[in-house]
Amino acid sequence: MSTVFRGTRRGPAIRFAAGEVVLLTQLFEQLLQLLEAESDDVAQDSDPLVELTGLSDSPAPAVKPTDPVLARLLPDAYADDERRSAEFRRFTESELRTGKQAAIRTVLASLPAASGRVVLTPEQSDAWLGALNDLRLAIGVRLEVTEDSYAELERIDPSTPRGRELTLYTWLGILQETLVETLL
Amino acid sequence: MTGTATAPTEVDRPDLGEDVDSARLWITIVWNDPVNLMSYVTLVFQRLFGYSRDKATRLMLQVHHEGKAVVSSGTREQMERDVTRLHGAGLWATLQQD
Repeated sequence: MSTVFRGTRRGPAIRFAAGEVVLLTQLFEQLLQLLEAESDDVAQDSDPLVELTGLSDSPAPAVKPTDPVLARLLPDAYADDERRSAEFRRFTESELRTGKQAAIRTVLASLPAASGRVVLTPEQSDAWLGALNDLRLAIGVRLEVTEDSYAELERIDPSTPRGRELTLYTWLGILQETLVETLL
Repeated sequence: MTGTATAPTEVDRPDLGEDVDSARLWITIVWNDPVNLMSYVTLVFQRLFGYSRDKATRLMLQVHHEGKAVVSSGTREQMERDVTRLHGAGLWATLQQD
């Protein structure tokens, strides 16, 4: 796992092996699909006027996604007020989703075709920061990473499926950490 | 090691017969999360709020050690904007009345 970001005069730079490009592409495309999936919690209304204005006679409150990864990426804004959280979500979730999707697309477009070196522009750096964080959140939720996981992370058994996923999670953390270091 | 608690700004509240949203301060809270890197959280605080590296680090440590920290205060609308931007950066934040 020696692939890390390094600061250069032109911007954060990194050299990816071919396998890493394939892996990152798969992971980010999966996350993109998850963020693009139609929310099953918002009532579908076929009235085109409603779709245009977002207004309806009986507006269905937008609730937190049932998928725990989406729930973490699109969290409630009010801790103890479901009504206000729903109201806020109805007006803001769409933009939050598209912002995260755009960051992932920027990352995917910045990857080399096979192995290769990449130097990030400031815009690409921002996209990588956000998308990497979202990807780590997604994997962290799936793996049920907690504050107490750090002991487990120090003694990963790479022969198990969970061990391999934790190795991946650790590598993504190093990627993000080294990117942040070039920007601080 | 614990961070120094950042107390919300004290405001003279007008003596009204009932609560009026616009007269009371709202605050944004960032909650601890086992995934987010300390360095990343610090960077987000610097970039989103213009805080110095020092202040951003103190707030991040407070989140890390105490489970949460108040990162900004103002009107409800301002706090909703802050929460939106924090969610965009992948931090877990909520707003509430002070």
